Amino acid sequence: MFTRAFRYERAQRYTDACDLLREHGEEAKVIAGGQSLLPMINLGLVQPGLVVDISRLAEGRELTVTGDGYLVLGALVTHARLAADPAARAAQPLLPAAAGQIGNARVRNRGTLGGSLAHADPAAELPLVMVALGATYEVTTGQASREIRAEDFHLGFFTTGLDDDELIVSVRAPVLGPGWGWSFQEVARRDGDFAMASAVALIRSADGLIIESRVAVGGVSDRPLRLADVETALTGCAAADLAGRVGPIQGISPAGDTGASAQYKARLTRVLVTRALAEAAARAEEAA
Amino acid sequence: MSEAATAGGGGMSEAVTVTLVVNGRPVTRAAGAHLTLLRWLRDEAGVTDPKYGCGEGICGACTVLVDGEPVSACIVLAAQVDGAEVTTAAGLLGGDGSLGPLQRAFHEHHAAQCGFCTPGMLMAAAALLSAGRPASREEIRAALHGNLCRCTGYGPIVDAVEAAQTEAAQAEAAQAEAAQAEAAQAEAAQAEAGQREGRR
Repeated sequence: MFTRAFRYERAQRYTDACDLLREHGEEAKVIAGGQSLLPMINLGLVQPGLVVDISRLAEGRELTVTGDGYLVLGALVTHARLAADPAARAAQPLLPAAAGQIGNARVRNRGTLGGSLAHADPAAELPLVMVALGATYEVTTGQASREIRAEDFHLGFFTTGLDDDELIVSVRAPVLGPGWGWSFQEVARRDGDFAMASAVALIRSADGLIIESRVAVGGVSDRPLRLADVETALTGCAAADLAGRVGPIQGISPAGDTGASAQYKARLTRVLVTRALAEAAARAEEAA
Repeated sequence: MSEAATAGGGGMSEAVTVTLVVNGRPVTRAAGAHLTLLRWLRDEAGVTDPKYGCGEGICGACTVLVDGEPVSACIVLAAQVDGAEVTTAAGLLGGDGSLGPLQRAFHEHHAAQCGFCTPGMLMAAAALLSAGRPASREEIRAALHGNLCRCTGYGPIVDAVEAAQTEAAQAEAAQAEAAQAEAAQAEAAQAEAGQREGRR
């Protein structure tokens, strides 16, 4: 609780924040909602010399559906807003559903999209959904911007493709296409805890047959993982036979802890993928 | 004291001046920028009803309303919310210092045992009730799920919130009825006056 003192600067624009990051290097930390950074500071895991506050920027709060089929979200959109926004729910219901599962109401009121993505907790909801959707992040140094695919951004435990002076500005996620169904599944020991495992499925089907799918899992590796082999195995399969096509999930490396063994988490992952596929397939049928 | 604080550090200093409207009363303090809203309230402003529990935003003992929304005061910097209206459990008291309706319901339903979670529970419940939409028992439980209590088993707390909600709805209905009766009375009086006018 008795944290080391640090200096505080409130940035007015992304450009100012990036300048401060360049100037102060390692000792500077960015704060938006602070729902990951401040617990880490309180626990003594991080001791910044300077905290750069971007929570009150005039920019970064857009939430728009574009004509070419994308949901564009400013990095400072809170989880509570994303979960409740009617336009977001209509355009890409998977994202609001996942945002509504984050932490508790207090975390969702303060926590931001960009913060969750840049923090890159392997068990977090939004990075998983972004990887499953094939979203892209726009990042800036204040001088130059570039786009990174979610899959290339999340590199490992709390590790991203962001350079030291870069910030996430916005996210482009494809809207839910016609005929697609979706599902988000997670299991935590208590409501509000980080998930022991989570799974996302997106399915497009016609006449009861799977045409296309996207499947990803979270919390069981050092980053969210797309399950390409599961997706391939599903193509052409009857929606009714989905469960039989999902074997033990390959490529994951869950860590055992006091709450659950690695073996249990591996089994749980398979169960959640199966449940996600069943729900997504049912929704795809409804949508067709 | 660091160089930045003494020398100004190129325009940056460790102390920041923050003004918050705490339970309707403006409070200004120059204090360390690293202070969370909780420490600012407790150590600088002397508002000690929000409690420090986990320091991670999980237990809810520090729940306060910032511009009407519940937040964990232990994981928000005071400097970040400069200018905001902050409501703590003490802000639920009536003007004469008596218990507000929600607090009275907690008292009547034995919704507090050790009392450590109570200020946070009250604020989570206050946020729910201020939405003005009748909440089911299940919705009340969902609204309180981020607030941990190790004594009561939660039942009495949910009872208290439910009772406060019912009381608020009844008070509102009684008020509407009284207004309606008053309007009817005024109308009758007007009609009578009209009749007298007609007779003349």
